[in-house]
Amino acid sequence: MWDVHVPPGNVAYFRSVLERRDYMVYAASNELRSRQMNSVLGNLWHLLNPMLQIAVYFVIFGVVLGVDRGEDYFVFLSIGIFVFGFTQRSTTSGANSINNNKGLLNAFSFPRALLPVTSTLTEALATVSPVMVMYVVALVSGVTPTWTWLLALPLMGIQLLFNFGWALVAARATSSVRDISQLLPFIFRLLLYGSGVLFDVQRYTEGRSYGWIFDFNPVYCIVTLVRWCIIGGEFRSDLLAIFLGWTVLVGLFGLVWFRAGEGTYGRD
Amino acid sequence: MAETDASAHTADTAVPRLTVAVRNLSVTYKVYEQPVLNARQILARGLRSRQASSVEAIRSVDLDFVAGEAVGLVGSNGSGKSTLLRTIAGLQPKSDGHVFVTSQPQFLGVAAALKPRVSGFRNVYLGGLAIGLSKEEIAERMDEVVEFSGLGPSMTRPLNTYSSGMRARLAFSIATLRTPEILLLDEALAVGDRAFRERSIAKINEIRANANTIILVSHNLNEIRQTCDRAVWLHDGVIERTGSVVEVLDEYENWSDDH
Repeated sequence: MWDVHVPPGNVAYFRSVLERRDYMVYAASNELRSRQMNSVLGNLWHLLNPMLQIAVYFVIFGVVLGVDRGEDYFVFLSIGIFVFGFTQRSTTSGANSINNNKGLLNAFSFPRALLPVTSTLTEALATVSPVMVMYVVALVSGVTPTWTWLLALPLMGIQLLFNFGWALVAARATSSVRDISQLLPFIFRLLLYGSGVLFDVQRYTEGRSYGWIFDFNPVYCIVTLVRWCIIGGEFRSDLLAIFLGWTVLVGLFGLVWFRAGEGTYGRD
Repeated sequence: MAETDASAHTADTAVPRLTVAVRNLSVTYKVYEQPVLNARQILARGLRSRQASSVEAIRSVDLDFVAGEAVGLVGSNGSGKSTLLRTIAGLQPKSDGHVFVTSQPQFLGVAAALKPRVSGFRNVYLGGLAIGLSKEEIAERMDEVVEFSGLGPSMTRPLNTYSSGMRARLAFSIATLRTPEILLLDEALAVGDRAFRERSIAKINEIRANANTIILVSHNLNEIRQTCDRAVWLHDGVIERTGSVVEVLDEYENWSDDH
């Protein structure tokens, strides 16, 4: 016999989460299907939404404010928005995953990490069409495809692991302090400007002493790395190292911290 | 499995196999007298922690449950029945003591809401997959679930169109998809209609006959009489009486009539 209140070790716990892969796939596809169920254009929105997003930012930052007259600004902006959006949506839905599944939580016993992990996977599936749009935008804008285009995919694979970590952290944080879900949009607004999504950060930080802060921002790292894959330019191995470091750190911390709160989810 | 079958056959003669052992268990809720403070009060308080008073929901409870028995928990509102059940399931943190089990208890709460905007069918998949069944197992047993829950054509409708009784029927059907070794029911049958309650009682008796343990919380004493061998009467977080259903329920009823 074993003590119910002594949680299984981290390894055993996450094995029991991974054993429920069928749930992840089923719940994720179910969620994606139901999202657009009541709209006229249905699944077309998975493509239209990212296209409209770039259109809006392009009109404001590219045309009205004239942030960057560079030829590739449209591609630059698209990559920034999609890569940034991937992490933003994963973290936000991870934060909401406990609250959105209260019915399931209160009805059955299962490892709770299943919920934020599934919500991250859902966002990863939802990101497939924006990524395709990203490649099409690059082609149409006249960027010559090279072998590095393919590198963007494993990079975003690492970003998925990074997102898992943040989803777990956000899920535990919002379930203990509900107010955090109110703060998240502002944190991401700040990150949007601090990650060089809309403009080239280096132009503004050149010669300034605080430029290194951006290099340690993981979202800036991944955005810059994916841009390098598609547009080219100088490869920043330091940013890759920093991003990998963040992924390992946040991933492990998220796993351990979320599991430690296992008995507290879903109660009011 | 062979071991379970063997113990089922010898249950009458051999020492019954212990499945749940509750040892010196205490559960304390922290209650904040003044949960919402305004900014000035927070400043005045500084870094001192909020003044919390604690409520002892369960106090030093010791209980044993064996394979092949169904036990009913009775007691007035606020006596700690549900807290005890949730703590045995591991869903409620304890403050002291231990709960030892032979396998992960399957807990089913009162009128479980599941996923409101998803159809009954899909809820069976979501719930079944979450508790660890495979897609094939669920597909194989779907007819059984539809028949047992008696939901028929309603299975294609989203759950937010269900009555609380229908939801309870579906949740019970999902929770018993895989016969759990330890099943904990917290008023899970309370809102079901008579026909469903009868089917559930038959199901509980079947689960028990297969050498599994069932602990159920219910205000419906008939339900306990029809399903349980033993009853535990909780009062103010302490065991008032434990013994055969007839004895405990009679005493409990006399006590209830006096209060």
